[in-house]
Amino acid sequence: MAGTLDNMMAVYQRREGADLVFQPRLSHWYAANTAAGTLPEKYHGMYLDEIYKELDVTPREVWRPGGGYLGFATKQENEVERWVGKKEDHIVIEYRTPKGTIREVERRTEHGTSTYWSEYLLKDLKDIEVYKYILEGQRYEWDQRSHEWGKKRFGDLLPLKVRVPHSPLMDVTVHLMGFKQTVLMLWRHPKEMGELMQLLENGFYQMIDECKGKSVVEFGFGNNMHQDMCPPPYFKKYVIPFFERVMPRIHAMGMYSTDHWDGYVKQLFPLLKATQLDGLECVTPVPQGDVTINEMQEGMKGIFLRDGIPAVLFCPWSSLKELEDTVRKLIKAFYPRLILGVSDLFPANGDIERIRFVNKIVQEFNDSK
Amino acid sequence: MDSVVSFDVESTKEEALALARQGVPADMIIEKMTEGMNEVGKKYEAGEFFVPELIMAGETMKEALEVLRPYMTGETGGKEGTVVLATVAGDIHDIGKNIVVTLLTTAGFKVIDLGVDVPAEKIVEAVKKSRAQILGMSALLTTNLEQIPIVIEGLKKEGLRNKVKVIVGGATVTEEFAKKAGVDAYAKDALTGVRVCKSWAKSRQ
Repeated sequence: MAGTLDNMMAVYQRREGADLVFQPRLSHWYAANTAAGTLPEKYHGMYLDEIYKELDVTPREVWRPGGGYLGFATKQENEVERWVGKKEDHIVIEYRTPKGTIREVERRTEHGTSTYWSEYLLKDLKDIEVYKYILEGQRYEWDQRSHEWGKKRFGDLLPLKVRVPHSPLMDVTVHLMGFKQTVLMLWRHPKEMGELMQLLENGFYQMIDECKGKSVVEFGFGNNMHQDMCPPPYFKKYVIPFFERVMPRIHAMGMYSTDHWDGYVKQLFPLLKATQLDGLECVTPVPQGDVTINEMQEGMKGIFLRDGIPAVLFCPWSSLKELEDTVRKLIKAFYPRLILGVSDLFPANGDIERIRFVNKIVQEFNDSK
Repeated sequence: MDSVVSFDVESTKEEALALARQGVPADMIIEKMTEGMNEVGKKYEAGEFFVPELIMAGETMKEALEVLRPYMTGETGGKEGTVVLATVAGDIHDIGKNIVVTLLTTAGFKVIDLGVDVPAEKIVEAVKKSRAQILGMSALLTTNLEQIPIVIEGLKKEGLRNKVKVIVGGATVTEEFAKKAGVDAYAKDALTGVRVCKSWAKSRQ
């Protein structure tokens, strides 16, 4: 299997001379094609990490049994009942509390392997009060069982990464309220939104404390950052101050920190340094993103890149020449501060043999160093 | 109307109501508010305003339109033509589409926004019913791009393909894909999409 723990640690530690690691996200492709019955025949009966091994690339999102990054378990100390109902491909989730009931509705897509919110959880000030009650009683705990499982299977191969929720503003935007309602609520009710986001932030201090003594290498935010959803004024007002508060605690624990920037990012690059992040994953150059590789290199000085190859280049209608040129440009621009991968995940209708194609380029590069 | 540009809902409502009570026709009041929205649109294009400002300005105008409703006769807007917009089936990404909705409405188009996760047949039906001159489709996930040729086929079956211009948008849309799908144009971002629609409207006049 390609890639080693030390080669990846070299990226975090800014060491030169290590082999380039290729670590694409394949779990969505695997789940969607398995559900649709369209997994290539040679992979029938294989688990995801076995497919990574067959492709000879470094696995990702495999740390827990059943797949995924290591996260935190949550416990609730207040009186909260979580009720789940299903209607066709909609999942209704209610949180019933003495303060009131709030509800969200998810809809399954892509053969049931993805969900999106067709109804967001927090619709008005009353819902926020109920959710604050829930947050006040919520405790994050280290998931020891999943940790041990992953460590036994992948501990010699992969640095331990924990994946944490969206930061407060992005949690409200992406998950709790939706973008439009977030904008309107920040505009009309800034005090109440500030209180909500502070409670969300408190959860991160718990998670950081839970990492004490656990050999966590990477504390990974999953912000789905996009300059349309979080334009520069919001980024300066809400995101940077949040990072200014949490990052010293993360770094004091000896952990590195990354964030997931999978949207358009050009307007946010000038603000990146203030976040004190160590790396970004999923930043996407043209033709899919809004930045060239040169602009990424300029905008991400001092910060490592995980991923970088636009997902669309793995689709059958895209040219192999463009894929190859992009891979070579990324290596030239970012190595040794690069863990190569797909921005931001290998598509369900992608040609899996293009992973092998890219891996050949990576291996040739490593042999020629 | 400066109050639209500064997202001052109360002032906008007061001003609109005062003008209506003075006997100014609703169309003219809406025209003044639209000038304010145009100013917001220009600031967005110039990078001074961002998507939240488009939303706040849109809400300001929406609330003012509510107080004008008793004074309105018939439908307003749409002199540039009718546009149907949708995010295709299986996809829920809509920020770009919603920017296009706001900017095209401001520019004088009648916009029928079908929302997200819209099946192909519903898109075709909306084009047929509205006699729209332009159809815009948004898709971010590569798997959902496959819906676009399905919609094109649907338009052909209904004899509509030659009557409507089709533009697709989304980060994963490329020139190769757009050619293969048989659309008239593609846009990597909302502003480009709006410019294309305006140029089509102009060429029809």
